[in-house]
Amino acid sequence: MENLSEIANYLKGKKARFADAREHLFREREIHTEDVRVEQITEQNVSGVGIKVLYENGWGYASTSATDMDSLRKAADKALALAKNADRSAAGKVELAAEPRHDAKFATKIKEDPFEVSVGDAVGALLRAGETILKGKDVIKAGSHLIFRNMKKKYANTEGSLIETEVYTVLTRIEATARANGEVKSRHYFPAPMNAGYEYFRGLDFQPNAERIAAEAREHCFAKSCAAGPSTLILDPEHLSLTMHESVGHPTELDRVLGYEESCAGRSFATMDKLNNFRYGSEIVNLVADNTLEGGLASCGYDDEGVECQKWHIVKDGILSGYGVNRELAHKMKMARANGTTRATKYSDVPITRMPNLYLAPGKKPLSKEELIAHTESGIYIEGMGSFSIDQMRLNMQFGGDAFWEIKNGKLAGMLKDVVYNAISYEFWRSCDAIADERSFQRSGFLTCGKGDPMQLAQMTHGASPARFRNIMVRRAK
Amino acid sequence: MDKTNLVIEKLLEHPVTDHVVLSRSRTETHHIRFSNNSVNRENLSKLEEEVNAEVGYEGRTGSYRTNDLSEAGIRHAVNKAYEAAKLLPKDPEYMPPVTESEFAAVRNFTPVFGELADENKYGILENAFKELKKAGLNSAGSLSTNPYKVEVSNNKGVRASHANCYSIFSLTAMTGNSSFKDSHYSKDFSDYDGEAFLANVIRNAGLSKNPAPLEPGKYTVVLSPSAVEELLMMFLWYNLDAKAIDEGRSALSKRAGQRIADEAVHIYSRPDHEKISLFPFCAQDAMPFIDFDMIKDGKLARPWCSRFYAARKGLRPTGRGPANVIFEGTEKSPEKLIAGVENGLYVNSFWYIRLVDLMDGIFTGMTRDGLFRIKDGKLAGSVNNFRFNQSIFDLFRNTAEIGKEKGMLYTSIPTITVRDFNFVSKTEF
Repeated sequence: MENLSEIANYLKGKKARFADAREHLFREREIHTEDVRVEQITEQNVSGVGIKVLYENGWGYASTSATDMDSLRKAADKALALAKNADRSAAGKVELAAEPRHDAKFATKIKEDPFEVSVGDAVGALLRAGETILKGKDVIKAGSHLIFRNMKKKYANTEGSLIETEVYTVLTRIEATARANGEVKSRHYFPAPMNAGYEYFRGLDFQPNAERIAAEAREHCFAKSCAAGPSTLILDPEHLSLTMHESVGHPTELDRVLGYEESCAGRSFATMDKLNNFRYGSEIVNLVADNTLEGGLASCGYDDEGVECQKWHIVKDGILSGYGVNRELAHKMKMARANGTTRATKYSDVPITRMPNLYLAPGKKPLSKEELIAHTESGIYIEGMGSFSIDQMRLNMQFGGDAFWEIKNGKLAGMLKDVVYNAISYEFWRSCDAIADERSFQRSGFLTCGKGDPMQLAQMTHGASPARFRNIMVRRAK
Repeated sequence: MDKTNLVIEKLLEHPVTDHVVLSRSRTETHHIRFSNNSVNRENLSKLEEEVNAEVGYEGRTGSYRTNDLSEAGIRHAVNKAYEAAKLLPKDPEYMPPVTESEFAAVRNFTPVFGELADENKYGILENAFKELKKAGLNSAGSLSTNPYKVEVSNNKGVRASHANCYSIFSLTAMTGNSSFKDSHYSKDFSDYDGEAFLANVIRNAGLSKNPAPLEPGKYTVVLSPSAVEELLMMFLWYNLDAKAIDEGRSALSKRAGQRIADEAVHIYSRPDHEKISLFPFCAQDAMPFIDFDMIKDGKLARPWCSRFYAARKGLRPTGRGPANVIFEGTEKSPEKLIAGVENGLYVNSFWYIRLVDLMDGIFTGMTRDGLFRIKDGKLAGSVNNFRFNQSIFDLFRNTAEIGKEKGMLYTSIPTITVRDFNFVSKTEF
């Protein structure tokens, strides 16, 4: 930690307005299985130091895998030189929001370090699931994917903050593919990825889920095609995770709103003039950003510009209420403080505004998932994630799903196929007329959220209870 | 031979098993991102050097990647890969390391690229900002130079090495209500003609202003090379794997021997293509990339296959992602293709393409950064963006004209004209 402080102060001595240094270890074990063989097992252990500097109004960033002072000074000099080049085209004064000085540590609470457990244990669990899947009638393929991740960071800046964080992450998924009736359909089991230790993986119930997805993949092959036209949809928590990610999470990243992502991920319809007055959803829609959520994939204590993780509303009672904001852009919102959601994937990556953990708050009135379906005369119940696409302003969205059931007279009446729905994002959220209560709340999330240039993949949790949406345009996929 | 390669040689001299592959990569990236006509915080320099150890043990394989290039670091990687391999069940698709005789087929090449000083790179950008501001436009994009080297060494005597570089200047120019994007691909920007590049972007950004409302439907479209690339690569990625085809998990499974495209459609790979050449061999195992046709005379010519699957089928492996993808073009300019359309649309880019139906090859996505009306053979202003749900087979069958190729990073793709392109909904801009 001392060398990081020293390098930040070295840059201060060279007239940097702000500088920070982040030592960042990224360790990941990844397993892919195909049927009952291990298709690929890889592990990576990559570490180094990234140095960010603000000189006048230009930013520069340089990284090095070596941590000796000589290498750090060279990287610092390079970052400073880049910042000076950037300053020549600076658009205006860069103002950083204040953040208290932190001398702090954060660590994911784990019982078992996944990297200390034999890979044979996890491989065994995945292959047993594969075996079970392949016993399913008409099943032609089983697959699985497992990631254990460990990110360890030390951070120091010119304001005197000294922060150490360590995060452990677990993600797994199994999949069955069936071929029957002239169709090929897949079905997956995707338990919520979590910041957790091996004990979380150990506690997952693969066998019954392997049997279930094998049967449902086959059933999907015999499903009738959906009818096209406006329909009522009930969406499960995993499906909603993807919907909220694309249509709420991304458009409320302030850097996107202000054009910083225009050339890649795009911009946003949710412009700042809409803050606190734009109806993003119906009155029952509350979308909460929470990087303090225990086990949340974006819960890291402090972000990569030294800001403490926080909780805030993105949409409150249906109204646009907040954004993900970094220290550089907070003043545009007249915010005194950034909200702690600026992260980098590896040491060589520049920290950028990333989506926080984001969830749809459960309905306040008592309503189980079963009651929600029972109170719906006709419609489609969708589980899981499938096809997903949205325009670069985050308006026109089209989603599929992993499995679909027809709802008839308040009951699930057999599977459907070929379902995709299409909506304008805010009209979709405005059409939400019921959300099940907290008993049905489930998490999901991603480790592969792409943003930035060069592209970085970030992780964040989402969550929801099943919710109902009225009058959504359903199209047949073919 | 530098220190790292000496360590690699030492470890291969006495390998822990009869299967040790050490692949080394070194990429020196200078990446300048900009937005709102100025360089933003993603203004970075990085040197990434990593070694991947792959160790096989009695028909099982483990791998471990590290950027600790000390002897202890690389030895640790080898040991961890070995430990992992030992714990796995035997792999029925296990393949031993590439042999010297397999590697002998490689056609290596030596790209020529020059240094590019920081001053020149920032100069290109500052000139672009100046010209765009003068035209009343905003900008976003990035400029990067990426020299790299890959080396693969194994205990069977293979020593593969290749150094190369790619550079990209990608520029989106925005009016208040529209945008237009173009990219220049290069080794080192020595071929960059700033005046022509900026004039084209500024002209088209101006043309994109104030998009007129238009309803979705089936239109004749002229697709730019980058639009074609995005759709084509998604299709190939999902459908061209030989094993998936044989197991009935590809849209091509039920189309064996059938015509899937207009007979003029020819898609192939040439690892040492004069412009689109990134690697002569696979950077993981040193297996040489080969020349092969993917689609020829309108039919599937040869799918992609791994070393294992190629051995089973008695074929040469292509890699499960070839060296590059080339869609054979003609000498017809984009203007000539546009001139041949009485009433249609010109699509500059697609965005967020995703699979909708695997077995029928249906994809969805949006238009982006320039959707122009074509009237009487000329571009006639822009229209609101659309979503499409489009079968790739219909697109191939309805390909009416093929124009000139544009070389991009991994592909060389022509502008094409397609009848009855299926736009299903519109958006608000």
